Amino acid sequence: MMLHLLNRSPQFDGLYWDLSEAFGADDHLLLIEDACYAALPAAAASLAAFGGRVSVLSEDAESRGLLGRLSDDVALVDMAGFVALTATFPHSLSWF
Amino acid sequence: MQDDEAALAADTPIAPLDLLVILRHPPHGSSWLREGVDVALVAAAFGQSVGLLFQGDGVFALVEGQRAGPLGQKGTHAQLAMLEMYDIERLWVSASALRARGLTPADLMLPVQLLEADALERLVHAQPHTLLF
Repeated sequence: MMLHLLNRSPQFDGLYWDLSEAFGADDHLLLIEDACYAALPAAAASLAAFGGRVSVLSEDAESRGLLGRLSDDVALVDMAGFVALTATFPHSLSWF
Repeated sequence: MQDDEAALAADTPIAPLDLLVILRHPPHGSSWLREGVDVALVAAAFGQSVGLLFQGDGVFALVEGQRAGPLGQKGTHAQLAMLEMYDIERLWVSASALRARGLTPADLMLPVQLLEADALERLVHAQPHTLLF
């Protein structure tokens, strides 16, 4: 069980690939900062490897004007939810 | 054939280390790789067990035949050559990253263990402390 934090946009596809190699069946991915752009429906392919176990930080999505434009497959999580996720998963790993 | 010999079998247990350092950047172009290797060497110098995982362009760090840059930039190959002296002998390489770049273990300056995605996932999950560069 591991929480992966990702902060780069989908144009860094090498980073998404490396993360997908390390991503386990019980893991979760939280998109923060520029990774919020991966939650757009047009970027669905960049998240295909993560089996729907993906959330996006609402504060970061909002500041980028993305609220209301995001894929339904990605859960919105606020800062309190971010904290709750880090408490739920015994390990976190940041990808940048 | 060399790939088969170096690949980690699916049922081989992976022992946790004190520190896993993931290296994703190539040599020379930035200081990412150098800083990651520095952290690994410092940790090892303080008696920690350290392993390195090369992913993405990080596999270029291991290419045989590197040398200083045209302006005398040191690169990282000399540091990597010292790993054994620091007892850093666990070197893992993403098999897909190596394949995607047209490289084989024969192109690398050090003996490594190749990891397919499933083994790579097990490695990362077995480690309590991981730093990514």
